Amino acid sequence: MKRQIFVLLSLATLVVFLMAWAADSRKEWVGIQERFNARAAKPEPIGIRQIMVAPLNRIDRCTTCHLAIDRPKAAQAEQPFTAHPGDYLKSHPVEKFACTVCHAGQGLATTVQAGHGEVRHWEQPLLRGALVQSSCAKCHGDLETIKAYAPMLVRGRQLFKEEGCIGCHALHGFGQTVSVDLSEAGSKNLHQLDMTFVKGPHTLSQWLYEHFKDPQRITPGFTRQELPQGEMEIAPTAMPNYRLTDEEAQALTIYMMSLTDEQVPGKYVKSLAAPEPPITTENAVAYGRAVFDKYGCVGCHGQNGQGGRNNWNAVDGQQVPALTYVKAGYTKEALKAFIARGSQPLAKLDPHGPSPSLYMPRWQEKISDEELNALVEYLYRLAPDETASAAPTP
Amino acid sequence: MNSLKKTKLWKSMFRHDFQDTPRTRLQRVFGNVFLHLHPVKIPVDALKFTYTWGLGGISFVLFFVLIVTGVLLMFYYRPTTGLAFRDMKDLEYAVTLGTFLRNMHRWGAHAMVMTAILHMVRVFLTGAYKPPREFNWVIGVILLTLTFLMSYTGYLLPWDQLALWAVTVGANMAANTPVLGNEGPFSIVTPLNDVKFVMLGGTSVGEAALLRFYVMHCIAIPFIAALFMAVHFWRVRKDVFSRQTGEKVDVWPHLVSRELLATILTLLVLSIWSLAMNAPLEEMANPTVTPNPSKAPWYFVGLQELLVYFDPWIAGVLMPTIIVIGLMAIPYVDVNPKGVGRYAFTERKFAWSIFLFGTALWFALIFIGTYCRGPNWEWYNPGQTWSIRRISKLTLMNIPNFWGLILLGAYFLQGMVISPQWKQRCAVRLGEGPTRLACQGLDFGLGALMGAALMIPLIWTPEFFRTLGQSRNAPLMQSLFALRSHLGAAGELAMVGIVTVTALCFGLGAVGFGRFKDRLWGRLGLVKYAVVIGLLLLMASVPAKILLRLLFGVKYIVSFPTVSFNI
Repeated sequence: MKRQIFVLLSLATLVVFLMAWAADSRKEWVGIQERFNARAAKPEPIGIRQIMVAPLNRIDRCTTCHLAIDRPKAAQAEQPFTAHPGDYLKSHPVEKFACTVCHAGQGLATTVQAGHGEVRHWEQPLLRGALVQSSCAKCHGDLETIKAYAPMLVRGRQLFKEEGCIGCHALHGFGQTVSVDLSEAGSKNLHQLDMTFVKGPHTLSQWLYEHFKDPQRITPGFTRQELPQGEMEIAPTAMPNYRLTDEEAQALTIYMMSLTDEQVPGKYVKSLAAPEPPITTENAVAYGRAVFDKYGCVGCHGQNGQGGRNNWNAVDGQQVPALTYVKAGYTKEALKAFIARGSQPLAKLDPHGPSPSLYMPRWQEKISDEELNALVEYLYRLAPDETASAAPTP
Repeated sequence: MNSLKKTKLWKSMFRHDFQDTPRTRLQRVFGNVFLHLHPVKIPVDALKFTYTWGLGGISFVLFFVLIVTGVLLMFYYRPTTGLAFRDMKDLEYAVTLGTFLRNMHRWGAHAMVMTAILHMVRVFLTGAYKPPREFNWVIGVILLTLTFLMSYTGYLLPWDQLALWAVTVGANMAANTPVLGNEGPFSIVTPLNDVKFVMLGGTSVGEAALLRFYVMHCIAIPFIAALFMAVHFWRVRKDVFSRQTGEKVDVWPHLVSRELLATILTLLVLSIWSLAMNAPLEEMANPTVTPNPSKAPWYFVGLQELLVYFDPWIAGVLMPTIIVIGLMAIPYVDVNPKGVGRYAFTERKFAWSIFLFGTALWFALIFIGTYCRGPNWEWYNPGQTWSIRRISKLTLMNIPNFWGLILLGAYFLQGMVISPQWKQRCAVRLGEGPTRLACQGLDFGLGALMGAALMIPLIWTPEFFRTLGQSRNAPLMQSLFALRSHLGAAGELAMVGIVTVTALCFGLGAVGFGRFKDRLWGRLGLVKYAVVIGLLLLMASVPAKILLRLLFGVKYIVSFPTVSFNI
């Protein structure tokens, strides 16, 4: 009797161990490789494939399932057995680039979900669709050279300039400190983001996208009711809602995702970011207009300085002031001095509320005298004609 | 087979035959280096599963499993910050049976911590630590501590966020060690030479800490633990088994077969567990991003929960030290000879009550810390959804130091006792009755003083009373405040009444406690009494401080921020 129990229990333990072994040897990728072989002209040996690229710090096992990704002849019609679309792999051979440097995901993983990085505790999910364009900037710093291949990325950077983001955000040492530095916006850690109001999947790109579409919905701050008694409310984010179309928001998201902390080795760098072209115009007003755009004044003061951006709890109707009639209130010298000095903090509408999040930053060290003079000329011309004619001309 | 047994080779290996005779049964035990830690005969009652629950043996089996799986894991693991996490991923995705191996090691470690604790509880409840086995109990407490340390050092090795921050919680507690921790009270050290630095090899958890923990985990602590285990087992045999009734039977096969059975069962359960559940692995460790909440390993989460009520030098350093020393002291202060070798509550009511209370408190705190705490360490019911947007701020105040010191002093003076010799001397001069009255009066006075020192500062420190009375987290203060406002002019009188009644109750309680103290003193004598009453008061101070905070909104009883000394 006792002996039987021993034998039985030992057998049970052995069975559990064999089950573990069986589960281990029948992993998802084994079935996928068998599916490939069933239809392949020449069967592949069963086993994990990996591409190791030491300079990029990559060990990618994606080819365990994507067996024909760089062999169009062996490719099949169905995923994951297709060949890589386009001729990208000619210029980006897999032995040199592996996969995740462009596509993200979890290269070390060997299950479909984990490999695509669409699992908890993996912060770089597969860059699906146009999102993959964000990776191009790692090596192609001069985006104009890849405009045909990464149109959304280029569009995103263009929008970034047009909307004047630089007026509040810094990027690689250029720009202001009103809000966060965006130099590594694409490498932000998920623990640093509040996903409470994000409707889509809880990823960085989704957060960025929804935040671009409606910043105040994603970052609404805290009302007094939500906070402990006596605590000051926290204003919603000061990021203006630019009424972006879906495509524009996506383009900006892709541009943000391209700003990563990953440094590729020098020999991988195809081009560096092109410096801003110098402003070439004789006309002082046109020159001033270019300065207005260059420093992102438009971000807060609006196109042509017409204002309209919200600034919670600021006097002047809780808005950033329009610049249209600026010459009525300032002499040119006073205006120059004001721009150079900035104005912080702004006066509060409700003295018990939070300080307005937007303020006029200090430009003294960032702008040249020449630029400042031209800018003031431009601002003086913003007023409608009837007042302009009455204004003294220098 | 028989011809095989006649060969020289066989005979050189096995020095006895395998017939089931009394002689070979003995030979099997004392002729075998591993089995000879056993006696050759054992009382039949000691074999009963419901007596030992096999807990000590199972702990050892788990230790053995951990060594085997641990050595296998070492083939795949490199303890550097750049490679450790990658090696974890390799184990999960590329190594044959890697996930199963890691699960076995992880769950085995959790199980060993649990069985070691339960083994201690079992030994306590059956009085198995009583003479002549006191010293082996001490060894057991050391082994339990080493088990915690082995598990804690191993916790860091996966190098994910869970590991990094759990270890950071522990290391920050070490930084609060009195005198030798940079942030502790009366610190005499800097961040570059305090105990935290010694522990981590740096000021934060990094490359050096990973290597240190790796060496401690894989070599140093298991080696020391193995030594202590050898002593522990040897002493089990030499000190004679605690249950000594009935006839004796041969260890081979009766005990050895049961040990084998327990081994197989343990392996079976652990295998099923490892097949069913995967060990956690979060994002790669990132020292710049703190997960909210960050929790210590489960067996230390009770201490982390205590951080809500105590400064880290108490919760993270003083408490565990006193617990370990207190446990070691148990066999030397327990003079009750009864209740050895059986579960006998009625013979050891006091000992059982105190020990089970402490154990329950320990596990209750672990439960709260594990299941009821979310982001910002806010309270969430188990299963409730967490929200990082929920922030509540408690209104808490410190008792003024003058009253706080009186309160603290009166509390610990409750342990004082008037020895019978003194009482006799007094009785000679004053007579029996007046002496008894005087002693009771002293007890009463001390108790009343404690009650008064608690209530007076709460009510008659104006800012204190108003602030806490209008807060939302000090129910008793709120009621008192409401009562006084409601009664108007009579309010002050009512307050005086309440303080008087509180003082009276504390006084009467102290008189009752005095009788208990006299009895305890009579049984234990000076030194043992001092140890027992000290530990008792310290243990009771934990729920007392918790209540002070939950009911009255008291943060510190005494506070000297300049030397970081707050209680």
